Amino acid sequence: MIQLIIKRLAIAIPTLIIIIAFVFGLMRVAPGGPFTNERALPPEIEQKINEAYDLDKPLIHQFGIYLSKIAKGDLGPSYKYKDFTVNELILSGFPISLTLGVSAIIISLFLGSLLGIIAAIKRNTIFDYTVMGVSLIGICVPSFVLAPILSLFFGLYLGLLPISGWNGGNIYNLILPVVSLSLPQIAIISRMMRSSTIETLNSNFIRTARAKGMPKRRIITKHVIRSSILPIIDYLAPATAGLMTGSIIIEQIFGLPGIGRYFVVGALQRDYTLVSGVMILYASLLMLLILLSDILRGVLDPRVKIK
Amino acid sequence: METILSVNGLSVNFDTSQGLFKAVDNISFSIEKGECLGIAGESGSGKTQTFFSITGILSDNGTATGIADFNDVDLLKLTEKELSNIRGKKIGFIFQDPMTSLTPHMNIGNQLIEVSMVHEKKTKNEALKKAKEVLDIVKLPRIENLLKKYPHELSGGMRQRVMIGISLMCDPLFIIADEPTTALDVTTQKEILKIFNDLKKFKDITIALISHDIGVISEVSDTILIMNEGHIIEKGNCQEVLISPKHEYTKHLLSCVPEWMK
Ligand SMILES: Nc1ncnc2c1ncn2[C@@H]1O[C@H](COP(=O)(O)OP(=O)(O)O)[C@@H](O)[C@H]1O
Ligand SMILES: [Mg+2]
Repeated sequence: MIQLIIKRLAIAIPTLIIIIAFVFGLMRVAPGGPFTNERALPPEIEQKINEAYDLDKPLIHQFGIYLSKIAKGDLGPSYKYKDFTVNELILSGFPISLTLGVSAIIISLFLGSLLGIIAAIKRNTIFDYTVMGVSLIGICVPSFVLAPILSLFFGLYLGLLPISGWNGGNIYNLILPVVSLSLPQIAIISRMMRSSTIETLNSNFIRTARAKGMPKRRIITKHVIRSSILPIIDYLAPATAGLMTGSIIIEQIFGLPGIGRYFVVGALQRDYTLVSGVMILYASLLMLLILLSDILRGVLDPRVKIK
Repeated sequence: METILSVNGLSVNFDTSQGLFKAVDNISFSIEKGECLGIAGESGSGKTQTFFSITGILSDNGTATGIADFNDVDLLKLTEKELSNIRGKKIGFIFQDPMTSLTPHMNIGNQLIEVSMVHEKKTKNEALKKAKEVLDIVKLPRIENLLKKYPHELSGGMRQRVMIGISLMCDPLFIIADEPTTALDVTTQKEILKIFNDLKKFKDITIALISHDIGVISEVSDTILIMNEGHIIEKGNCQEVLISPKHEYTKHLLSCVPEWMK
């Protein structure tokens, strides 16, 4: 296992450099720059600003400076939020995004798996049809469509829940964004879980467990779940990626000061360092999740040797 | 003699996309205590479904009708819960495919001990003691070590021995072995059949041995029952049927056995 972690860290560094280079390149290809305004600055001043931010140097040189700073853990100054460094901005937004993302992922995994298992056990019953029907809608309706509908209904129409703001992490403020973010994932996970549970239920070793006279509940908890959950473990990283992109929009809709907002603002305003900082964070998190799901898989399935 | 299983007018139907399929058609037979009954017939003749239906492990699309008295209790009338109290405890089942018949994520020890722990409410230690006993009966070496292993670390022959061990955990009256050697090589086949012969000799267990291979059946069985297309074609003493078959189909089956086996 330690071997696996070391190996992944070794791969993570070049991967991150490639991602940084990619974002760096893309941002420079896009027209305009952080200091392009409608009203042109006097050339001497623009010259001075560019010098201060090293923007006058050749691209390769800029990239080198940027990389060496990142190596020291410094993501550089923000071009747009001039009084803040990217580190400060990310630190202020990250706890919010993390709360949102982690709640959504835990809820999606738990509810999605649970609904899928029950639907599989009670297949071709009203319960199964309901879960599968609703989840089909859940898959078709993306969270950015769901969010305004939920806000409208629970926030404005019923007046039950706040529709905007963080409010110091108040649980009521979290409900709508987390629900909008999780529902599509619950839909996907419950369908995956249902089909893998049905497949497991039809396998020979479950027939053996029944022939051994094991009670239903024990068959599900001891024999079925650990096999049927494996596709969900593999889906963990893609789910996280989905939640990350979803959260960028959800944070906008619900006015949450997470890092999603900086990503959008940064991209629109050519805030090179901010966008790239957020990307580095997202990429690292994703790689962490892939590692985590590989470790989990190894723990759950003895046939997999974790190397 | 005491009859342990008495089957009367048993039929098994499957609901398929092409309509109802009759896999077993109104069959009757019985097994005496201590007897080893061989069930022969080519593949698809309904051997497996006969015993799946009796033990209540048919697929969801299958239904069984008739009577199957086991120790004077009609198994076909029992609820799933009542049946599961009999399966694994009084009736052991051994399946055809040892490679896929054990739970891949559970170690051998746990797959054995759960049988006694659930049925006989044994403590873990008592169950482990029993597990070691049965693994000894099926002649598996290095038992301590084996208990911690997972199925994928074992060969097919070893897995089938574990399956037999599982079926013996609660000292059943009756074991059903469905093609227990079909997936194994010839040497391993002989060793497994030896285990069945030992069980007959020392444990006084009643055995139903299903096989499409008459050679296999003749090595263990006292009586034989020939099935074809869901019907019983012929039944009787194993030796007698094999030496002087009355029915054309039996003759046909026998003609498929290689000369040297006779
Ligand atoms: N779940 C099922 N649905 C439909 N037909 C089935 C099902 N299971 C078994 N059968 C059919 O029942 C017949 C008898 O099968 P089986 O008892 O397994 O044969 P065998 O004598 O080889 O053990 C076969 O023709 C098989 O195709
Ligand atoms: Mg069969």
